Amino acid sequence: MNGRSHSAEPPRLGAWILSLFLPAEYVESISGDLQEEFLQLRTKSGEAFARRWYWRQAWKTVARLAGRGFSAAPLSTTGAIVAGLLLLRLVHSLPDRLLSALTDRYLFYWSDHLHAYLWLLRALPIEYLAGSAAVGFLVAVAAKEREMIATTALSTVLFAMAGVASVWVVASTGDSSFLWNLPRQCLDPLVIVIAGAIVRNRRSQTRSSHSA
Amino acid sequence: MARDYLGEFEHVTVLAILRLGDEAYGVTVRREIASRTNRDVSIGAVYATLDRLESKGYVKSRRGDPTPERGGRSKRFFQVTAKGILVVNRTQKAFESMIEGLDLVRSCG
Repeated sequence: MNGRSHSAEPPRLGAWILSLFLPAEYVESISGDLQEEFLQLRTKSGEAFARRWYWRQAWKTVARLAGRGFSAAPLSTTGAIVAGLLLLRLVHSLPDRLLSALTDRYLFYWSDHLHAYLWLLRALPIEYLAGSAAVGFLVAVAAKEREMIATTALSTVLFAMAGVASVWVVASTGDSSFLWNLPRQCLDPLVIVIAGAIVRNRRSQTRSSHSA
Repeated sequence: MARDYLGEFEHVTVLAILRLGDEAYGVTVRREIASRTNRDVSIGAVYATLDRLESKGYVKSRRGDPTPERGGRSKRFFQVTAKGILVVNRTQKAFESMIEGLDLVRSCG
């Protein structure tokens, strides 16, 4: 024994990832199958081997069935992703437009209350994140049983766009400080995936309370 | 109507279900394929294929009772349909027809 707590349960994080990404109709049977084999392997070959086997199976299974989930409903899933991109464009332009409209209208007020204006300016990233979360929720709800596939795909597209844009700016200006913005830009995709996970968890809870 | 054939892994999966009879569910199907074809098969690959076969009407599934060693989760048992038997026979005949007259041992040598 190495002092670590040994559990008869498979890795919790792995089981949670499976429950998020698998098509709803297969979560119970696949999670059960993997747990059954995990317990048998644990007895036969030891905890470490069984855990490694479980993680390998979990990743392969998510990759195979997420792809299958997309190909089973490509139009609705793609529609949810495209609608999400358009919504993000709209939602992300709102705080700027609102702030511009307010400063134009109440110019004297802002010149007297510069701190309030600066506070609003600093809060813009939070407003962007709130907008991204709202879009993530909407996409997850619209994608029905494929919440995580749609939100993960949307996040991947956003992440790729941010990466390409940063590299392009750095290449054209020679100013590598733009790359420091990349981690902040990763927050949007992350928030969208979290929104997808929340919707998926909520639906799973509702489903299990109905079947109980 | 176009005559459908099974892909290689679909063919193997349907044969595994037929071999297992009433005991065909994810774990047993995966093990049957792994032990008879001597390849590492993931449960995801098995379910992706079973899902495709079910959507084509070649297999059907039913849920079994929950068991404690599965954390109270139920098994999903699979069974080959009459349409599935027809297509596996057709695929098998196509293979046999293609292999007929070939001396594979000599071709490799």
